[in-house]
Amino acid sequence: MSILSVENLCVKANGHHLIENISFSIKKGNIVAIIGPNGAGKTTLVKAILGLMPVETGSITIFGEPAGKKNYGGRVGYVPQRIEFDRTIPLTVSELLGFSVPPVYSLPLFKNRSEKRHIDWLLRIAGAQGLSQRRIGSLSGGELQRVMIAKAIVNGPEILFLDEPASGVDIEGQEKFYDLVNRLSKDDGLTVILISHDLNIVYRFADNVLCMNRRLICTGRPAEALTDDVIKSVYGEMMGGYIHSCHEHD
Amino acid sequence: MSMISEFLAYPFFQRALISSVIVGILCSYAGCFVIMRRMAFFSDAIAHAAFAGIAAGMLFNIDFSVSSVAVALVIAALIAYLSEKTALSHDTTIGIGFSAAIASGMLIIGALEGYRGDLFAFLFGDILTISLRDILLLSGTGIAVLSTLAFCFKPLLQIAFNKDLAKVEGINVRFFEYLIFLVIALVVTVSLKIVGIILVTSLLIVPAASAKNLASNMRQLFTLSAVFGVVSGIAGLTASVYLNTPSGPTIVLVSIGIFILTLFKRS
Repeated sequence: MSILSVENLCVKANGHHLIENISFSIKKGNIVAIIGPNGAGKTTLVKAILGLMPVETGSITIFGEPAGKKNYGGRVGYVPQRIEFDRTIPLTVSELLGFSVPPVYSLPLFKNRSEKRHIDWLLRIAGAQGLSQRRIGSLSGGELQRVMIAKAIVNGPEILFLDEPASGVDIEGQEKFYDLVNRLSKDDGLTVILISHDLNIVYRFADNVLCMNRRLICTGRPAEALTDDVIKSVYGEMMGGYIHSCHEHD
Repeated sequence: MSMISEFLAYPFFQRALISSVIVGILCSYAGCFVIMRRMAFFSDAIAHAAFAGIAAGMLFNIDFSVSSVAVALVIAALIAYLSEKTALSHDTTIGIGFSAAIASGMLIIGALEGYRGDLFAFLFGDILTISLRDILLLSGTGIAVLSTLAFCFKPLLQIAFNKDLAKVEGINVRFFEYLIFLVIALVVTVSLKIVGIILVTSLLIVPAASAKNLASNMRQLFTLSAVFGVVSGIAGLTASVYLNTPSGPTIVLVSIGIFILTLFKRS
């Protein structure tokens, strides 16, 4: 069953096409990787789906309904590539996660027990236990990403959008992060849409890949869709040999 | 001490004390949002818009409370609209609103007949002339503003943290952007009589900034900010009696003194 489908999507900014005529659909419970070179429109695509960027033409259907008609609420989680925020705000991890716990309209300064238990559980799932009382601005890149994924799954979403979530995180941190994403998808049936430059990660974790460079280049299972010719056309001649090493690694 | 006891017997001083406590709490709470959203310049623009509103009230014989809030809200809406609809940066749109407020205020003052000393009372503030009606207005606005901030605490802080994440989580960012502009416009306008247009931004910014120096979480930020706001008000007013100095600037200087102390504690 398709949880998300995009038909003939075009996105323009300042008179230039950022995305041209892209169509695809994503099945529930799949991990789908979006790959492409810098400036290919990957982040734009995710932002357009999430309603963070205006769509020029085309349609997006999410949960069987046209996007933008309804508030997705907690059904969608999002971890952006870079989280821009004021690092000097005295905001703790626990407080940040508490903002997303219903009821929305309540004073969160005094948490009830169930909210506290829920936050502790989220942090444990995300491998971020012990960070509860830390200030957000004092977290390392890897710690912040784990907290952001805890925030993204706070209300048990059905789709999780991850925009290069492990960039700037060390190798051990990346491993932990993608293991977590994989576990959430396999155990809870969470659909994950993941932007990544790391083909190794794509081969290991993605059920399907969507390769784009403003237009859709190919889509399918990574081992079948990412041929040598596709990789060369997207990333250039230098990447030709890389595809073989990824296959062998796999 | 006897001097203070003597002053406490006077109704005008009692009213001044009550209003300094209300404004201290109100400004310090709203100030936390102002510093988190980096809106200090916005509150300055709103203060000047309120001044233009007061001048307009004098010209057209309208109640100052109504005219100042009305003009402040128009300028706040103009800034919010420009920020949303244009590619201009936030400080540029505030600068445009600020210029519109000052220029129209100067034109209106030019149209007033004779010397208007009462207008200048709003420029520098005069807490000792606070009437019972002013206190009722302050209390009403205070209850409305604090209830709104408490009720919408989570979405407002979500937006202050990151607008995109807030939007994805289903928060109506546009509505809350206008709401916080409206709240700050109201707080600034009702606080004008206490410290005046020139210093009202200080009451918003300084207690919240002092609290930020010490706080390690949001609960501490809001609590300390309110404590510093109230202490500045009471201590500033008391000091102004002893030192025979204008109350508005004395209150602000006390809050600056607290800020300096928090810097030492922080380091």
